Amino acid sequence: MLKVLIPTMMLFPTIWLTSPKWLWTTTTAHSLLIASASLTWLKWTSEAGWAFSNMYLATDPLSTPLLVLTCWLLPLMILASQNHINPEPVGRQRSYITLLALLQTFLIMAFGATEIIMFYIMFEATLIPTLIIITRWGNQAERLNAGTYFLFYTLAGSLPLLVALLLLQQSTGTLSMLVLQYSQPLQLSSWGHMAWWAGCLVAFLVKMPLYGVHLWLPKAHVEAPVAGSMVLAAVLLKLGGYGMMRMMVTLDPLSKELAYPFIILALWGIIMTGSICLRQTDLKSLIAYSSVSHMGLVAGGVLIQTPWGFSGAIILMIAHGLASSALFCLANTAYERTHSRTMMLARGLQMIFPLTAVWWLAANLANLALPPLPNLMGELMIITTLFNWSPWTILLTGLGALITASYSLYMFLMSQRGPTPNHIMGLQPFHTREHLLMTLHLIPIILLMTKPELMWGWCY
Amino acid sequence: MANYKEAPLATRPKTLDPAEYFNLSPDYRRAEEKRAALRAQLKRQYLEQLNNPHRKELIEDPALTRWTYARTNNNYFRPTAKTSLIGGLFGVLPLFVLYVVFKTDRDKREAKIKAGTYERPYKLST
Repeated sequence: MLKVLIPTMMLFPTIWLTSPKWLWTTTTAHSLLIASASLTWLKWTSEAGWAFSNMYLATDPLSTPLLVLTCWLLPLMILASQNHINPEPVGRQRSYITLLALLQTFLIMAFGATEIIMFYIMFEATLIPTLIIITRWGNQAERLNAGTYFLFYTLAGSLPLLVALLLLQQSTGTLSMLVLQYSQPLQLSSWGHMAWWAGCLVAFLVKMPLYGVHLWLPKAHVEAPVAGSMVLAAVLLKLGGYGMMRMMVTLDPLSKELAYPFIILALWGIIMTGSICLRQTDLKSLIAYSSVSHMGLVAGGVLIQTPWGFSGAIILMIAHGLASSALFCLANTAYERTHSRTMMLARGLQMIFPLTAVWWLAANLANLALPPLPNLMGELMIITTLFNWSPWTILLTGLGALITASYSLYMFLMSQRGPTPNHIMGLQPFHTREHLLMTLHLIPIILLMTKPELMWGWCY
Repeated sequence: MANYKEAPLATRPKTLDPAEYFNLSPDYRRAEEKRAALRAQLKRQYLEQLNNPHRKELIEDPALTRWTYARTNNNYFRPTAKTSLIGGLFGVLPLFVLYVVFKTDRDKREAKIKAGTYERPYKLST
């Protein structure tokens, strides 16, 4: 664990001490080295359930895929930000990369935490760099509103979590995940206990986001700069899913009754947010609502607490992280050239950017869960286990899959096909950096097809 | 064109209607000339921008800007009886309907499992 954490902390001196000419090269190379070091976590040798541990941090099959995803994403974020940060003075460029590296450190510590309170502190700590990225480097005036919604929705959800964790510490004497998994199922029956149960989960449901409390997400995703959107979509939403999976271990007997409203909100949310996607004019907003839709499926999979549900949830989280981040990168390339996110404006791009049309196609096919990509595997496992839970869910999930396919197709056809407007013929050609960014997003998805055991979590 | 006769089942197109060209009042003609002048100005402005070899940015279309602003920022929603009904029907009622459906289905299955009569149709590990 330290072999990744210490290089990540050393990223800060790297950022502030390299000469401006080499800043982006050095930080990208350093973060790529950290990413390759993190791949060693994937070799699962421990018999004890937790590996690579020290006193406070450890990895296990649930957190390893998410940790590797986090480490992989930092070089991609730095690559994506190079163009739009370039005009700023060097000090501000360094601050930007510092915020990304800070976010990375907090995320590694959050996913690697063995004490739930440490996870909570890191969960809260990730809010600060993200807030600064959104409100300082976003592009429209609405970014202030977006930052406010983002901060206060998450905080309002997580304050009850703090109280619930302190109560848990009082009653069981420990908050270490290593110990809590063996604790007795708590006898929970009164209204107070139900409030405690809700308090444990609401923070993660807001972060996921669940359909009723999802309003912060489109605002935050749309107003954030590309690195902010990437990290939000790919990793921060998964913090919610991961937290839910960890907390469910201790919440047991009550979950059977109390989970119904949230499962229903998640499933209905798939359809509602999918339908909203079909009516969007803003490209990033469409991708943001599609994130809510996919995360609704993940939330449903986690809340019914079956092995296939958990595995499907992790697989879908990893695959969606990569695919959604790829889509935000593509949307950013269009934004950097036309300075507008309107889909109708940048149409017919296939004629002028043919190779990019391939990336658009691949990313959209990944988003609509095309077999044999892991997106489908995750969705299929969750849909199957929901069907086993109650056959009526197939109506909602099936309709949701159909709507997902239609808005992904809509996004592809709107941006790539059709007549290219005359006045956007003079756009800059695609940079090698942007092609590299897209391959680095899509190759892991394709490689994960060949070895899905890396993603399955505890249940393989 | 003076002796244009319509086909038996077709109507005369508007551009060949004599009323479009003859017996027009001078006011109407002046108004039409002004509108044509405005259109020509707009077209000239667009073509100047389009064919400008030093242009590096997009040509801004104010109609598109207004349309996107109207679609995204303004909220034309007003809570009336009809919108509340639709909101309740699609946003609130399905939640309760789904709760009833899932609860009864799961309770039936739980009762069967407790009584030992539930036959598992699939050999799944879930």
